[in-house]
Amino acid sequence: MISNPIGVLALSKREIYRFIAVASQTIFPPLISSTLFMFIFGIALGKRIDFGATGFTYLSYIVPGLMTMHLISSSYENTSSSLFISRWHNHIQEILLSPLSYFEMVLGLLAGGVARGMFVCLGVFAVSQFFSQSLIENPFLLIYFILTISVIFSCAGMMSALWAEDFGMLNMWNVYFIVPLVLLGGVFHPVHMLPPLVTIISKFNPMFYLVNGIRYSITGISSVSVLLCAILSGILAIVFFGITVYLFKIGYKLRT
Amino acid sequence: MRNSEIAISIKHLTKYYDDFRALDNVSLDVRRGEFFAFLGPNGAGKTTSINVITGLSNHQEGHVKIFGYDTVSEYIQCRKLIGLCAQEFNFDPFLSVRQMLVYQAGYFGISSSIASKRAEELLTRFQLNHKSHVKHRALSGGMKKRLLLCRALIHDPEILILDEPTAGCDLELKYLIWDYLKQLNNEGKTIFLTTHYMEEAERLCKTIGIINHGRIIKRGVKKDILQDRSLERVFLEVTGLE
Repeated sequence: MISNPIGVLALSKREIYRFIAVASQTIFPPLISSTLFMFIFGIALGKRIDFGATGFTYLSYIVPGLMTMHLISSSYENTSSSLFISRWHNHIQEILLSPLSYFEMVLGLLAGGVARGMFVCLGVFAVSQFFSQSLIENPFLLIYFILTISVIFSCAGMMSALWAEDFGMLNMWNVYFIVPLVLLGGVFHPVHMLPPLVTIISKFNPMFYLVNGIRYSITGISSVSVLLCAILSGILAIVFFGITVYLFKIGYKLRT
Repeated sequence: MRNSEIAISIKHLTKYYDDFRALDNVSLDVRRGEFFAFLGPNGAGKTTSINVITGLSNHQEGHVKIFGYDTVSEYIQCRKLIGLCAQEFNFDPFLSVRQMLVYQAGYFGISSSIASKRAEELLTRFQLNHKSHVKHRALSGGMKKRLLLCRALIHDPEILILDEPTAGCDLELKYLIWDYLKQLNNEGKTIFLTTHYMEEAERLCKTIGIINHGRIIKRGVKKDILQDRSLERVFLEVTGLE
């Protein structure tokens, strides 16, 4: 399936180098905002929130939510900005002229999104240890969810970068679609706390299952079947990856 | 590489941009080792042809083969054989000159130790070695042109496609590039050159093709086409620009 491993590795290294070179824009902001969220919501307000029935402190409840939120946004932003800028400057031609298969191109571009998402996600967990020390209940499951979620949103970022004609269009999906769904998916609250109708609607929000998957991996507690979360996450990753490879194959907005 | 004497084979190629027919039933063969000049007025279809040959553009009818490999169904083999020096500066803003070349070689499956050596050779050859650690923004226009050439040559392609490689270059740089292209051609590389400088085509190329309104209107060996006339005169006659 991979006939040019050196090529894939070179592209992966370039993508990872790109976000590390601008760490002040890619790594530190989500870590700083997570620290503030944990301090304000977890420490300052969290003590006043009665969370006894869930088996969590409020801080330990929001940490997996924050990890998922930043995993999603970092993966998405990495591939969307990288691919869009390479289309904008037209140095995407470097890749399009190379003997990488379309599968390999997507794999190489994906590496940056996955690496950045994973780095930020685990960074948020590391920061949370300063506020409340906790163990990871299911580390292998956590790796599975981090990988599949980062693949889903790295691919979504690439799709958005191919579709967008300007920076406004590039941000549209994130602002109007991904962020609201993530926040309504239970980052800061159990969905059963919402009005009954909204609780039912939330069950159709895929982010709800992704947040739950990460939360279960860390705490061992979930409000929905973890198997369902894992299957959904895996299927979405495969589907999004397949669509992205297809878009490269037909040259959607890549070839005139 | 297949043992084909035809480096680039274009058969009945038609390409539309919406309703506009940019290439109209173009057929053209470029033999292995040829130095071929592809000439035409602005908008005639030169860059579109290059884009189709390199796989940067889709086409609706006909087919293109590179040493016998189809550019659509065997695109990976084709891309290994082609180096493109594009008209525009399209560099990755995050990478230094040297990094750009080493990564580019990597995409072609060349290990970083060999790629580093090759990058050093090319940067020295094109007098860019003192700029190897800067980003492309710090380069002058002429240096960027040279960098485009280095990038096209980093994987030692069999076919070099040049889209106006000396546009905007001073005389010294022009001669440097011409000398190197002649050397490459003498080593057996096939060169496909588009240019608006008739002197350049006349001086370097052995065979010439002229395209206008998406159609090949003249094709042949230079001396047969010229017949004691200048290339500029022939060009103006056949394109009707006289």
